Amino acid sequence: MTNRVGPEKNLGNLSAILGDGIETLPQLLIYQARQIGDRVFYRKKLFGVWQHYTWNDVLEQVKTFAMGLVSLGVKRGETVALVGENEPELFWSEYAAQAIGAKVVCLYSDLTPPQMEYMFIHSDTITVVCEDQEQVDKILKLENKIPAIKTIIYWNDRGMWNYKNPKLIPFQQVQEIGREYIQQNSDSFEKAVSSGKGTDTALLSYSSGATGLPKGCIITYKNLFDMVFRVTNAISLKPFSQYLSYNSLSWCLEQIFGIAIGVSLPFVINFPEEPETVIENLCEMGIECIVLTPRQWEGLASMVESKMAYAGAIRRWFYKWALAAGQKNNLALLEAKKIPFGSRLRYLLSDKTVLYPLRSNLGLQNAYLAISSGMGMAPDVFRFFHTIGIRVRNSYGTTEIGPVAMHLDETYDLGSVGKWLNTHSSFGPPLEYKVSDKGELLVRGGSGFAGYYKEEKTEVNKDYKGWFRTGDMMKVTNQNELVYIDRLEDIRPLSIGESFAPQFIENRLRFSTFIRDAITILDGNKLSVAALININAATVGPWAEHRKIRYTTFTDLSQNSKVRELIKIEIEKINHFLPEKLKIKFFINLPKELDPDEDELTQTQKLRRCFLEQKYATFISAISKGETEFKAEVPIKYRDGRNSVLSTTVYINDLIQE
Amino acid sequence: MTGQNRKDMGRNGWLMRTRDLNLSFGGVTALQQIDVNVGHSEILAIIGPNGAGKTCLLNCLSGFYRPQTGQIYFCDQEITHLKPHKRAGIGISRTFQGVQLFLGLTVIDNLLTGRHIYMKTNVIQNFLYRHWTHREEMCERHKVEEIIDFLEIRHIRHKLVESLSYGLRKRVDLGRALAMEPKVLLMDEPMAGMNLEEKEDMARFVIEIRKIKDIPIVIIEHDMQVVMDISDRIYALNWGHIIAEGKPGEIKKDQEVIKAYLGEKLSK
Repeated sequence: MTNRVGPEKNLGNLSAILGDGIETLPQLLIYQARQIGDRVFYRKKLFGVWQHYTWNDVLEQVKTFAMGLVSLGVKRGETVALVGENEPELFWSEYAAQAIGAKVVCLYSDLTPPQMEYMFIHSDTITVVCEDQEQVDKILKLENKIPAIKTIIYWNDRGMWNYKNPKLIPFQQVQEIGREYIQQNSDSFEKAVSSGKGTDTALLSYSSGATGLPKGCIITYKNLFDMVFRVTNAISLKPFSQYLSYNSLSWCLEQIFGIAIGVSLPFVINFPEEPETVIENLCEMGIECIVLTPRQWEGLASMVESKMAYAGAIRRWFYKWALAAGQKNNLALLEAKKIPFGSRLRYLLSDKTVLYPLRSNLGLQNAYLAISSGMGMAPDVFRFFHTIGIRVRNSYGTTEIGPVAMHLDETYDLGSVGKWLNTHSSFGPPLEYKVSDKGELLVRGGSGFAGYYKEEKTEVNKDYKGWFRTGDMMKVTNQNELVYIDRLEDIRPLSIGESFAPQFIENRLRFSTFIRDAITILDGNKLSVAALININAATVGPWAEHRKIRYTTFTDLSQNSKVRELIKIEIEKINHFLPEKLKIKFFINLPKELDPDEDELTQTQKLRRCFLEQKYATFISAISKGETEFKAEVPIKYRDGRNSVLSTTVYINDLIQE
Repeated sequence: MTGQNRKDMGRNGWLMRTRDLNLSFGGVTALQQIDVNVGHSEILAIIGPNGAGKTCLLNCLSGFYRPQTGQIYFCDQEITHLKPHKRAGIGISRTFQGVQLFLGLTVIDNLLTGRHIYMKTNVIQNFLYRHWTHREEMCERHKVEEIIDFLEIRHIRHKLVESLSYGLRKRVDLGRALAMEPKVLLMDEPMAGMNLEEKEDMARFVIEIRKIKDIPIVIIEHDMQVVMDISDRIYALNWGHIIAEGKPGEIKKDQEVIKAYLGEKLSK
């Protein structure tokens, strides 16, 4: 890798790049910077203006920070933790730590101190790179419990003037130290990078912890490149596509897209100004590739729907007309059906007048790759985006194995997670799957799974005669597409026969603009399905105001009789499509919103089902007893650590047909 | 202390002072013999029950009211008779109790009005929009963007002020005052009508302004918790008189202040 390569050699061709002896991400970063050093790599809005960072700029930043870390005593094999929003410094820190052979663990920036403590200790973190005062405060709160952490580096110094803790050091100062180190040891960075091996641990990716404590999955560079190859081999991606980096690096898929594909394809990575300005930033960036979670796609769909609900009658008519034309054309395309000339013409007109402007308003007019990943999403949401001309593809994967299935080509079933992905022979045997007798998806092949950090035993349990057990229930269609049902452990049998997969129903409930979240449960006698609904205050609130329904708090709004009637109608719409035994018979509007800070959701907004079933046990038993209302007491935990109890009357609503 | 500020300081160490200030409206005396000193880079709070004369004092300092007798000095220069816009020009900036913004303009445009005193181009030049106007606009916009970044209002920069919540309007009001690059900032009840989170944010901004801009801030506030937490020195007013002056700890124990707030019977 010391030889200078030709201009833009092997661009977008990962197998050729790896053939040139590249084994790790930092090696690839240097390789790319040598060829395309003057091209833009990052875009970030600062003081209202988009600033560019070229590959050379990025490499320089990484180099100085990496050597700064070495000077501070970070050694090969040790762990560096990263906490913060997606900003260039976060990405530089990751490349830099990996460049000197350290492994990286990324934490969600909204974790509470106790959640952070577990990950710091479990991952053996010795250095933390974090964003700002907020993160520093959280880490300093834990100072006595995490003596192993010797250095805390922060890149935003606002409000940090009066902090005298000797462990604290600003990002820029670390780079200064790095510069001095490089002056004395000129090729130290290159030496450190070239001694990296493909089998080194690149990162510890903690699973979401939906079923207990998070587990640290070991991801090697070989694993990462294998995952990159599966995606780039299946979908044709254009080098220098504009990519939005919005999801946290703690999520394995952002590591694959933002970090690994970002360097190997490469992407131009765009950082939003802040989470609140994403929609505005999207419009300015002209994003071409985007990966969002189902919640985020649902949020976008519900934003459009709720805005249109309050638009004038003429605009609403045009919108409905355009949606009908889009549906006829785009959904027929998905099924490879022939489209009559009249429909095509109508679509062309509606696209020019309504659908294209709508896509532009969402900032997705240039998006040729839109992916949903993380968990199931209702086919209705996919259908909505396809209708307006954004081809959102579903994908499926696990943190341990990476992405394994995705909607490919032009025709696919929106209810599935797509077709199986292939990998390159250099990573190992072909990637294979089978569905066990219980319906569980088993996977083997590729670069394999390197195991959980510090948990050899669990790895053996997961390893099932050479197959990796995903724990997910899957079905395979005649077109060889996989359909995700639910987590195997969440499937509950009804006493009247039929098994019940909660996610299948919940995903469909969430398509309603008025429902933000839903937990479906069985009543105590396992006779019928009931739902606990977290109403969407952002849409139900204006709906109530529009109808002059007075309310004070979220609790008041959720228990309002007219709101309960509204949710009832929404659930009836979904019940219409469900088999008789699985129809929702009862529902309760939760008097408070579900919150990750209260351990009700994971940081990726997945439901923590076991915890929720315990917390809301009184709700479930009230349904079983056949009560119509009861006095509920729900514990509430505030962000500052205070505890309180919400005490209110909660109504049980039935949907039993008379 | 920066060089500029050191130069601005009066001979006796005060940046701004009033001497023997008296203000009355007809038969009602609003302020009587007020001697207030504003030091360098301090957060100075003015407290007192309703009708004590706090806002009157602030209006005298910013030039909205002209006292019948007494003098106001700024950097040793007497400014008692200086008009409000002239005072703005020499570095006295203020925010209002009720938000006084241009509701039909965006946040950026509102902040740019605060930069008006620094703009050199005239109407004809602006109409022609040649490179000098463009350069000026770029420069002023950058200054405004720094304030937007500082006050964390990036997400609303293109929004019309009329569409904003009260708490955010207050923040924009503060932004406009900061856009003038003041040497002293006068704030009239910046936290009135705000929820706890908004108050905490505003308190943080006040502290950070003092730290970053190195200027004194005179603040009128009713929330005693906030006043005691952030201010360096306090003047307590009642019936147009200064009844106490000192550090927060001293003011808390001052009998006169307790009497003014709780009434004579309860204070005993």
